[in-house]
Amino acid sequence: MRVVIVEDNALLREGIVALLRERDIDVVAQAEDAPGLLRIVAGHKPDVAIVDVRLPPTFTDDGVRAAIEARERHPGLGVLILSQYVEPVYTQELLASGTGGVGYLLKERVGEVRAFVEAIERVASGGTALDREVVAELMRTRGAEAGDEGLGSLTPREREVLALMAEGRTNAAIARELVVTSGAVEKHVSSIFGKLDLPASNDDHRRVLAVLASLRAGG
Amino acid sequence: MTPKTTWTRSLRTTLAQAARDTAYLTVGTLTSALALAVWITGVTLTLSLVVFVVGLPIMIASAVAFRWTAELDRRNAAWLLGRPVHGVYRGGGHGLRARLRATLRDPQSARDLVWLVLHSMLGFTLGCIGVGMVVLVAGLVTLPAWYWSLPNGRVDFGLWHADSTAKAFLGVLLALPTAFVTVGVLRVCARAESWLAVRLLDGDDAGVSPSADSPTDAPPRRRRFDPEIAFSLHGAVTAFVAVLMAVIWVGVGLGYFWPAWVWLGIAAPLGIHVVIRRAARAPAVRGRAVRVHAEASALIVGYLTLVWAMSGGGTFWPFWAALGLSVPLGLHALVVYRDRLNPTREQELTERVDVLTRTRQGALDVQAAELRRIERDLHDGAQARLVSLSMLVGRAEEQLADRPEVAALVRRAREEAGAAIGELRDLARGIAPPVLTDRGLSAAVQALGVRAPMAVTVDVFDEGRPPPVVETAAYFVVAEALTNVAKHAGGAAARVVVTREASRLVVEVSDDGPGGADPAGSGLRGLVSRVEAIDGTLRVTSPAGGPTTIRAELPCGS
Repeated sequence: MRVVIVEDNALLREGIVALLRERDIDVVAQAEDAPGLLRIVAGHKPDVAIVDVRLPPTFTDDGVRAAIEARERHPGLGVLILSQYVEPVYTQELLASGTGGVGYLLKERVGEVRAFVEAIERVASGGTALDREVVAELMRTRGAEAGDEGLGSLTPREREVLALMAEGRTNAAIARELVVTSGAVEKHVSSIFGKLDLPASNDDHRRVLAVLASLRAGG
Repeated sequence: MTPKTTWTRSLRTTLAQAARDTAYLTVGTLTSALALAVWITGVTLTLSLVVFVVGLPIMIASAVAFRWTAELDRRNAAWLLGRPVHGVYRGGGHGLRARLRATLRDPQSARDLVWLVLHSMLGFTLGCIGVGMVVLVAGLVTLPAWYWSLPNGRVDFGLWHADSTAKAFLGVLLALPTAFVTVGVLRVCARAESWLAVRLLDGDDAGVSPSADSPTDAPPRRRRFDPEIAFSLHGAVTAFVAVLMAVIWVGVGLGYFWPAWVWLGIAAPLGIHVVIRRAARAPAVRGRAVRVHAEASALIVGYLTLVWAMSGGGTFWPFWAALGLSVPLGLHALVVYRDRLNPTREQELTERVDVLTRTRQGALDVQAAELRRIERDLHDGAQARLVSLSMLVGRAEEQLADRPEVAALVRRAREEAGAAIGELRDLARGIAPPVLTDRGLSAAVQALGVRAPMAVTVDVFDEGRPPPVVETAAYFVVAEALTNVAKHAGGAAARVVVTREASRLVVEVSDDGPGGADPAGSGLRGLVSRVEAIDGTLRVTSPAGGPTTIRAELPCGS
């Protein structure tokens, strides 16, 4: 797996590189600003680009904009955004752009090494990795007015499963997280899809998109 | 647009207007001649034949002729003014007598006659002045081509004559200033003449509505005194008399240039008129009286100086008049502006308020900038270090798989670091959400609309960014208002409109909910203090049954 990192804070950048090396993941190139992202993606053809949102030159959302551009130029490129904020607008723009895996994680998730590496692998293989805070934000606004329909009709366990699905986890990962059998997870999933009236899908990425669309539309 | 094209355009407009004025005045001269013929014939015939029966049809025929002539000039005036000028006559009825009675009783008939008499004199005079000036300019321009053809081979303009090619070309140069004067004279003459036509011939202007059907109770006419027109008339009459005097002077064989004294005489009332007009138009501010006083004094001194110059110079006696006038003027100015020398309490307070307003604005801007700087510092400093810490601890945790008790401790350390990061994040979001800082109000408000649990239509102006403090206040007004809608309006749809009106940012959030919002609620109170801190206003309209509207007006400098 070929990974590039774009992060202007040297301490973080080098920390992530060291962490990934311990896990035998090769960081083939590093950059410090948005134009650098486009340059190294073009030069090194990575599977995944790990990108900070706030980057030079303007220190606003340069990272997001550059990542979207990179995905348009290089179809199939996986992008994992690291940010200190939950900003649903940026998540949605990324999900709507190009093909290939997409991730949006809060920076402190880097400390949960195993989950972080899993997220990178998921993005590299075309999957989705959304931070649980992002998902919680979506579920919170939609949950506020949920009645007996949609989200309101889910059991607490089903809501947990839905949240993990929205993060982009596979059934096996969900089973591991909740310490249940994968058969139990499958049952929950089909129940959720029935209640939310979603099209069933075996493709994990498409499943996430369906779940997110349903959350955005108001459950 | 470059200044040059503006200049060309205004020149073109001026010339077009001058051409229209000339055409109008030319036609006016013709209608005035017609008017003269019509009213003299009509009135004479009618008066002399009224004792006989034939007087009646002649009277009617005259009235019709009057109307035709008036109608002709109405069209001319309408063409100049670019708006319709309607003559409003009452319906006639049937039969000779009825029509005659209606015609005689129609107030417009009387006005037509008054206009005929006035126009036959004034229209002719103004037309001759206007057209004469145009001919003069044309003559000057072409002077070298024809001056020699006159007897004696010279053209005499009174003060100046052309009898050689060089002088003729000088005449061509003189055409330019003459043209300037001509344009002005044409405008004044055309305005005076069209004013007369509108006042006397336009039924709308006279306040007569076409539906007025009572023959005896004519509605009262609006007798408006239009100072502009009066001034134009005054100027036209003065110019006419001035030119007339010069013509007479030329006619009686030149000699001592006595018309100058007549000019001086008629210039005095015109000068007074100018001063009065300027006084009436001056903005009602302090010192207006002093200004008028100074202008009147200057006029008198200037006038006396002219008299002094025309009477052959000598001792400069107007000096004494100037001295005498400057004393009351000085006193007047001193009385009006004495508080400048010795400011009153009120003025001190006004200045103080100005200073405080300015400094508060400055303080708020500084505060907003400072908050954003703190947010940035947190992001790049403490937050980044905590993330780095969390990462290091995470790596340590990985290597402690064989010592679960220590691993659990390290895991707790990492979670603490995560909690600290979360708290800093909430703090930063309270200062300004990233999407607002990164992309501005429009994007941030749209994001709020998308995230709200109900349907929200968003319409935010998107040109330039208001100052940070205003932008943040506007954002939080929308955020809080939408939270309220979500909580209390039972899923009703909401609308957010942010517009820029002059120097204010207007934020309006409305919903179709049941209404009855309490402006004293804690959320709204917080908003009010946020808005008032930047000198804005927040109004909540929420009648029982809805709809609820929250409108904030935020001053934003520029």
